[in-house]
Amino acid sequence: MSQINRLSNGGRIDRNKVLSFTFNGQTYKGFEGDSLAAALLANGVDIIGRSFKYSRPRGIFAAGAEEPNAVLQIGATEATQIPNVRATQQALYQGLVATSTNGWPNVNNDMMGILGKVGGKLMPPGFYYKTFMYPQSFWMTYEKYIRKAAGLGRSPTENDPDTYDYMNRHCDVLIVGAGPSGLAAALAAGRSGARVILADEQEEFGGSLLESRESLDGKPATEWVAAAIAELQSMPEVVLLPRATVNGYHDHNFLTIHERLTDHLGDRAPIGQVRQRINRVRAKRVVLATGACERPLVYGNNDVPGNMLAGAVSTYVRRYGVAPGKKLVLSTNNDHAYRVAMDWFDAGLQVVAVADARSNPRGALVEEARAKGIRILTGSAVIEARGSKRVTGARVAAIDVRAHKVTSPGEWLDCDLVASSGGYSPVVHLASHLGGKPIWREDILGFVPGEAPQKRVCVGGVNGVYSLGDSLADGFEGGVRAASEAGFKAVEGVLPKALSRHEEPTLALFQVPHEKSTARAPKQFVDLQNDVTAAAIELATREGFESVEHVKRYTALGFGTDQGKLGNVNGLAIAARSLNVSIPQMGTTMFRPNYTPVTFGAVAGRHCGHIFEPVRFTALHAWHVKNAAEFEDVGQWKRPWYFPKNGEDMHAAVKRECKAVRDSVGLLDASTLGKIDIQGPDAREFLNRVYTNAWTKLDVGKARYGLMCKEDGMVFDDGVTACLADNHFLMTTTTGGAARVLQWLEIYHQTEWPDLKVYFTSVTDHWATMTLSGPNSRKLLSHVTDIDLDKDAFPFMTWKEGLVGGVPARVFRISFTGELSYEINVQADYAMGVLEQIVEAGKQYNLTPYGTETMHVLRAEKGFIIVGQDTDSSMTPDDLNMGWCVGRTKPFSWIGWRGMNREDCVREERKQLVGLKPIDPNVWLPEGAQLVFNTKQAIPMTMVGHVTSSYAHNSLGYSFAMGVVKGGLKRMGERVFAPLADGSVIEAEIVSSVFFDPKGDRQNI
Amino acid sequence: MTAVNVYQQRPTTGAKAESSLHHADLASLVGKGRKNAGVTVREKKLLGHLTIRGDGHDPAFAAGVHKALGLELPGALTVIIKGDTSLQWLGPDEWLLVVPTGEEFAAEQKLREALGDLHIQIVNVSGGQQILELSGPNVRDVLMKSTSYDVHPSNFPVGKAVGTVFAKSQLVIRHTGEDTWELVIRRSFSDYWWLWLQDAAAEYGLSVQA
Repeated sequence: MSQINRLSNGGRIDRNKVLSFTFNGQTYKGFEGDSLAAALLANGVDIIGRSFKYSRPRGIFAAGAEEPNAVLQIGATEATQIPNVRATQQALYQGLVATSTNGWPNVNNDMMGILGKVGGKLMPPGFYYKTFMYPQSFWMTYEKYIRKAAGLGRSPTENDPDTYDYMNRHCDVLIVGAGPSGLAAALAAGRSGARVILADEQEEFGGSLLESRESLDGKPATEWVAAAIAELQSMPEVVLLPRATVNGYHDHNFLTIHERLTDHLGDRAPIGQVRQRINRVRAKRVVLATGACERPLVYGNNDVPGNMLAGAVSTYVRRYGVAPGKKLVLSTNNDHAYRVAMDWFDAGLQVVAVADARSNPRGALVEEARAKGIRILTGSAVIEARGSKRVTGARVAAIDVRAHKVTSPGEWLDCDLVASSGGYSPVVHLASHLGGKPIWREDILGFVPGEAPQKRVCVGGVNGVYSLGDSLADGFEGGVRAASEAGFKAVEGVLPKALSRHEEPTLALFQVPHEKSTARAPKQFVDLQNDVTAAAIELATREGFESVEHVKRYTALGFGTDQGKLGNVNGLAIAARSLNVSIPQMGTTMFRPNYTPVTFGAVAGRHCGHIFEPVRFTALHAWHVKNAAEFEDVGQWKRPWYFPKNGEDMHAAVKRECKAVRDSVGLLDASTLGKIDIQGPDAREFLNRVYTNAWTKLDVGKARYGLMCKEDGMVFDDGVTACLADNHFLMTTTTGGAARVLQWLEIYHQTEWPDLKVYFTSVTDHWATMTLSGPNSRKLLSHVTDIDLDKDAFPFMTWKEGLVGGVPARVFRISFTGELSYEINVQADYAMGVLEQIVEAGKQYNLTPYGTETMHVLRAEKGFIIVGQDTDSSMTPDDLNMGWCVGRTKPFSWIGWRGMNREDCVREERKQLVGLKPIDPNVWLPEGAQLVFNTKQAIPMTMVGHVTSSYAHNSLGYSFAMGVVKGGLKRMGERVFAPLADGSVIEAEIVSSVFFDPKGDRQNI
Repeated sequence: MTAVNVYQQRPTTGAKAESSLHHADLASLVGKGRKNAGVTVREKKLLGHLTIRGDGHDPAFAAGVHKALGLELPGALTVIIKGDTSLQWLGPDEWLLVVPTGEEFAAEQKLREALGDLHIQIVNVSGGQQILELSGPNVRDVLMKSTSYDVHPSNFPVGKAVGTVFAKSQLVIRHTGEDTWELVIRRSFSDYWWLWLQDAAAEYGLSVQA
């Protein structure tokens, strides 16, 4: 079986380039230039899949984005699987592997076909609601069953090997669609010098001209297309994007374009090339030249393979050299569709008859067909088709459209292809994405874009301008308008001449009448993809669903990837007739992005894998890696968590690190702390207003701990700030708070106190910070610095400048461990060299690097809080037992003072931060555990607080925790209980939160 | 000068220095990669970077800056380059001065002297940021993949500089020559930018210049 339906000549295909591909495991051959659909039709493949609900055999129905049936799974390997690919939009390539997404065990002998006949009854319209809404717990079961049966495609289970990315583009004029009007618009805009982007979803530009019978300036239309593309390519400011579907029209003329760069080349993109790209376009003006989409007629068994959209037949014949049948019956209500019969006739194939619903059609195309001797049955339509796996005949009968009645028994015509045309629907999707309601035009029997606030122009088919000459002119004019509105001067242009001919109006026929009632007639499909019949829509209206949005949801009309491309208007017309209202009264449903499905790969772009998120490193990171650190994510930073040795687990490592710091000396990379350089004569006053405590008397050379609150009086950051000079301070913040504290200072400076002379600049990345902590830190540091470290010369909470390891440094004597500590700051570029010298000198002191976990333990032993762990934006300084850090007598008000003095903030029994000591010293209190005073109460118990920090492995030798307890500060020595999820209860004593060295002797030596 | 603490932060003894991309060892990549690469990257490392803040509307401020540097104070979104020195507008009251390695201390002293008693801030940020220079015919494509800011020459001519969104973070883009651009990147993000740029430039070819 070799391309039995391939015509001997014609088509925009390269017959010298034979490509083989497989469909459902069988190998076929096609030509370069084929779409997958064209190649399947050329090989006589009738059945492409089974329908969603009734499991009826389905074949290729259309030739473009509107294809409802040939929605296939593509991919030769597991990793390259792509679901939801329309065979009509997929270019054929060598080795393409396609499968149906439904039909089991296969599409020709489908088990569901039998079930479907029953299932159809079991699944009436509204089954989503009737079946799935209740009981809710069954949804998971149903979903699996439905998905397997319906076959909605599947995602790959292996990593996609290809690259997908984004490209941000800006232009003066974006033109959507490169058919005749779009090309004309692009020429007009391009010639003005504007930055133009022309995007089209098809493999090549030209739209309907690629298969048109029409001539331009007496030459084939495709010659003009080629000339237009050549001219556009020569314009430096014009970007041409073929294979690029404009999928979404978003606010402020931001449009997203799904470009398939290499999908036509193979199963995988060539090495180094991108497979798909989302172009994110900001356009000054948008020209929508999206054209129109033909509507099928709704008649009995209009879904049997061999029923096709009329225009699609022409496309396959003229563009691909494929005849999807032998004997054609055409059913139409308009002139334009007659070209299909003539294309068929000219290809040497048999036109059995044209059924025209109009009583006396006399348009130019009609007469042309008559002149060729084609049999035309007027006042008639195809009432129903016959056949199960392929059309074998069609019954044509006379109809009374107004009365919606069949008026003659008609005759069965022997045929294998029924093409139907019910008129044209402008593709208004993009024009409506932002909510613009389309407007019904009775003269063209279609919805056109309504008024919209967007800076856009609609041209050609989408505007209901259908004749070639008018469409070119409309496009050109639109291009001129868009370019001039974007500030460019348009250049005069001459358009090619198209033949103008007499065309008669389309007759308003949507659902073809049948002798039987809709419910009893053979199934008349409105939405093939969602298996929605005319009967289903009538049922919906009978059941009281009158709003178009309700009808849609009740029946699934136009759902999902279909977006109502073929069935929308027919469905509306049927609902309108059933409700006895007009189509415009019925209105349309919402159109939503995306116009066609987009792969997840394209959505993710490069934001995946190793560049998914920024990762920040300190200048010492390489050393940490070399020393086998485990890392913890702190915001975007990678911080050493702990440094395991000899196969230690975290607990063992942390215990060892804690002990080393308490006994000798430890080393912490503190570079991630936020650091803000503050200068200006009012710097001190500014600190008074943003910190809770007083800064007026901090001398040059000294440092002080400060708390920051939001206006509500709740703590939001803390840190040490040093006075570097009278008008110069260095503030430190928490690692996570660095950016928001700087922003906070700027906001208050710019909006509330612009009169204060002060500036802030982040120096977080400039300084690398190494903390030496432990009783031997002074001795160690003395080996590598020229600074006088004598305790009187360099006391606690002061800083000094000098060389450390030969590098200029600022050293701060501040402590987060409770031990004698030095924080050494050097310009980050030189930190590694300094670190290496410290480490060398530290060998004799068992210098031990420690990470954030040990830091957390050691600070907790001292009762030092971590903002964000022990606080949660609902704690005042007093709640944290840090009233000592509140400047209650500062002359000028400061942020948080008023808030923390509100009635609720000063009441007794607020949750207060205390130490918690489990009665069993080996038991760890889980962080987050809720606390109660009394376990002999019914659930839900009265909760009185929770655990904020808890450490079993530490330097104390017993488990301890910090937590908040209602009125905790007055309950020292009392017991609280943590009832856990497993039923056990941990009992703990409320103690001071300072577990270690309560007088602070060790840090102050 | 007791009002502010100004001191030489860079060692003069030839101490070991590591740029923020030291670990990537760009030097070892010179000459490798595709011939006729569409994008060439060069690390302009260990330069002197000073943030200058002051009142741009005060003629005395502009005059002081000019006196100290011999450069006009650049207006919004521009960078002025003179030899190895550049001065860039960062915001209505904020500028970035980049000078050759080790000259930042002298530059700060000169500026402070020239600006006298004006309320200003000068901060040495040399260790916290550096410049990556990108050149070649496809730099614009790489930028378009990375930032939503319009980098077309009609909107982003030579001499323009903006701080903007880039991939999932922010940086400063400077257009310094027809096919030459600079990124001012923060130290802690450098690895991310290097990974990102390698990835974005892969389809055009990336070469490294010493």
